[in-house]
Order: sequence, then C-alpha cells, then structure tokens
Amino acid sequence: MTAMTPELTALTLAALLQALQYLLYAVPANLELGPGYTMSARDREPSKPLSEKTARLGRALTNHFEGLILFTIACVTITLADKSTAFTAACAYAYLAARVLYIPAYYYGLRPGRSLIWAVGFLATLLMLLAALL
Amino acid sequence: MLHSEPHLLALYALIVAITMVVQVGAAAKTVGLPYLSSARDAQKPLGTVPERLRRTVDNSVVALALVAPAVLLVETGGVGIPQTVLAMQVFVLARIAFAALYPLGIPYARTAVWAAGFLAILFLYLIALTAPLT
Repeated sequence: MTAMTPELTALTLAALLQALQYLLYAVPANLELGPGYTMSARDREPSKPLSEKTARLGRALTNHFEGLILFTIACVTITLADKSTAFTAACAYAYLAARVLYIPAYYYGLRPGRSLIWAVGFLATLLMLLAALL
Repeated sequence: MLHSEPHLLALYALIVAITMVVQVGAAAKTVGLPYLSSARDAQKPLGTVPERLRRTVDNSVVALALVAPAVLLVETGGVGIPQTVLAMQVFVLARIAFAALYPLGIPYARTAVWAAGFLAILFLYLIALTAPLT
C-alpha cells in the first residue's frame, strides 16, 4: 500500500475545496434563477442571467476543474514514483493556498491579482510534474 | 522514463499545461492581456485559432480525467503489462497529434487521432478490470 504523502493530503483538501466551491456557486445560482429552472433540463438559457458576482463564482469553479486534474496527476505520480520531497510538498500547499485565494480574487475582480494567483498555482503544478518526471 | 504508465501520464499532463500556456498566448494576441486578466464579465470572442486552442484544451482536460483513473487502477492493481505501456505511448502520441491538428483546422485526421487516444484509454480500463479482487 502506498503511504499517504503530504501531496495526497493537499490533494484531498483541494478536492474538498472544489466541493465547497460547488456550494458557493450553486446556492446563489439557485436563489437567482430559481429551482424551477435549475432542476429543469436547461434546454433554454435562463430568462434572467446570473448576477455578475455569481457568474464569477461559476467561472472560478470551472477554472478549478482544469487546475485540479493537472494537480491530481502531479500528486498521484509523485506518490507512485516515490518522489515526494519537502520541495514538492511545499509546491502542493502553495497550490492549495493559491486556489483558496483565487476565489475571492475572482469574486472581487482583482486585476492582475487573479491572474497572478492563478499563475502561482499553475507554476506549482508544473514544478511538481517536472519533479515526478525527472 | 517513457516506459512506465504513470510517467507517461505525468508527461501528458505537462503537455496539456503547455497547451494551456499556448492558448493564453494566442488569445493575448487577439483580445489582449488586459481583457484576459479581467473578470471577463462580458464574453469576448477570442478569434478562430485561440478558440480552437480553447476547445483543444477542453478536450484534453476530458482526456486527462478519463486516462488518469485508468493509469492509477493499472498501477495500483499491479496488472501492468508491456501492452499497457504501449497503450500509454500511443495515447500520448495521438494526443500530441490532436493538439497540433486542431489549431490547424485539419478535419478527419483530428477525429482519427482522437479515436486512437480514446481506444488506448478503453484498453487500459479493460486491463484494469482483470486486477484481482482483494
């Protein structure tokens, strides 16, 4: 059995963050559009669009899916290849911190803060993937 | 290093990350970094090639989400064989071809390499199912 590495702990927390982001988006979206629309097959666009802030939470959620699939592979391959070091663990928590900060950065439309925070998480993932490969 | 399924998975994750950077670079040329770093409340069309790259990235994220569990199952189930490594090598090459053909707008061949990558994933799941129950 593979041991639980710090990277896998960070990955679990990142997945929980994603679940939390779901709620952060789904609750206001349901309040704004009404369950009549959200529980329908959504064949048509809603008659009233989402508010700006809720739409931003939706895009933050979508963006985290992309970040999370790369991060998942980085954490799992580092663990399987036995390449976990203090550096890769630091990268994993840098990713997690960046993804937490990304949500308010998107919500408040911070520019270029949101992009810089995204870049921190992306770079941390790249370094982890390189560590897994080299 | 290209003879283990998890390494090939990490390599492909790195390739997708690079595709994301290329996509942002192409979109920066058409709509500019000020728009990209904004909260993007009003959707702007990115232009033909950046939109194709956007769809390439979307498709690649789906491919990663499908292939990663298969690799994890083959690896942790201990059912890896030379053919599963070959399947991952075919997958990576097919997906690199996909990422090149889509922005160039080459039809049929793009669908053919997509199908090759998809079949490689299905093969990995079939092998994963042969893992003994514990």
